[in-house]
Amino acid sequence: MAENARVLLPLLLLLMLVRVQNGESVWLNLPSSGTKCVSEELHNNVVVVGDYAVVSDDHEHLTPIISSKVTSPYGNVLHHKENVTHGQFAFTSSESGQYLTCFWADHPAEGVGLIVNIDWKIGVAAKDWESIARKEKIEGVELELRKLEGAVEAIHDNLLYLKNREAEMRGVSETTNSRVAWYSIVSLGICILASCAQVWYLTRFFQKKKLI
Amino acid sequence: MKTTMKSYAILGLLLLTTFSGELSALSVTVNDVECVYEYVLYEGDTVSGNFVVVDHDIFWSSDHPGIDFIVSSPGGNVVQTMKGTSGEKFEFKAPRSGMYQFCFHNPYSTPETVSFYIHVGHIPNEHDLAKDEHLDPVNVKIAELREALESVTAEQKYLKARDARHRHTNESTHKRVIFYTIGEYILLAVASGLQVVYIRRLFSKSVAYNRV
Repeated sequence: MAENARVLLPLLLLLMLVRVQNGESVWLNLPSSGTKCVSEELHNNVVVVGDYAVVSDDHEHLTPIISSKVTSPYGNVLHHKENVTHGQFAFTSSESGQYLTCFWADHPAEGVGLIVNIDWKIGVAAKDWESIARKEKIEGVELELRKLEGAVEAIHDNLLYLKNREAEMRGVSETTNSRVAWYSIVSLGICILASCAQVWYLTRFFQKKKLI
Repeated sequence: MKTTMKSYAILGLLLLTTFSGELSALSVTVNDVECVYEYVLYEGDTVSGNFVVVDHDIFWSSDHPGIDFIVSSPGGNVVQTMKGTSGEKFEFKAPRSGMYQFCFHNPYSTPETVSFYIHVGHIPNEHDLAKDEHLDPVNVKIAELREALESVTAEQKYLKARDARHRHTNESTHKRVIFYTIGEYILLAVASGLQVVYIRRLFSKSVAYNRV
């Protein structure tokens, strides 16, 4: 078991280093009890590739194990794994909304919180450039320029997405604006109506009581 | 023939390793302190990013008190501090390589959701060119181009997060307009009804006749 850990740990560190060079990962503090969640708002048809691993730098103890769950905005579980030290998932978003990735420690008796290394890539960054390079036999400067071209296309798509969102929001704002004006006038009308009804009713009441 | 293929392969590998990948904008819920760690490979790299407090339901006041943002270098020194802000961009040159800590402090009891994006950009300089004869000066230009595109992408992520916050505010305003005006109408009707009932009771026969 100790030998297994000794082989696994350098492998884990190497994997992390490769990940750090190929893409940027973020390290998060996981509390010893409770869940830590990260989320991202995605529109549909976005490729998501995620990779997570528990970071531990002591050789004597075993790497702590965690469980992870990825849920879509409508509640579907896209990835669920228990009792692992590392894992990865990939999916294409089919609904637009908040995608939640949650981690929790399985054995809260660890005491100290753990650190989880999360590598989360969406869209153009999730493309597997190595396989594209191999398939189309491009390398070097041409590959880099291809990546830049992908980045520019992603920027263009993001701009169009932002424009559409802004148009939706503008619609909501204008509806709210017209509703505020209309409801205030109706409120004034109701106020006048209520006071007229009161005056009419009380006049009738006092006339019946022969006070007027 | 074999040596040129090998040199191309090494060049390709080197180029792949100098590519700084893209991290998408993750959201994290900050209860008290939330720290994110990011590894900076080379000294002198430009670390840029932004964060926006996305989900806050302020009830009465019109301005959010904000959260604090502190960046610490691996040596423990504070590199950057931003206090009481609800969304900001940051950029600094890393004084040394290592694990940098980006902490969000929430001084208030309500948990806030923060959407953040951190990017570490490396441009090979003359020192790297001198060290490695396979690295072409064109790679420097490509790296600069890549960093420029990354800054556009970062700006887009910032705009997207701000747009999300604006949308929350708009939808909340829309809901408030409807519920508060309908509540107002009902309360108005009930208040005038109660007034009439009270005046009727004042003049009822069970009480002495001109008591009012």
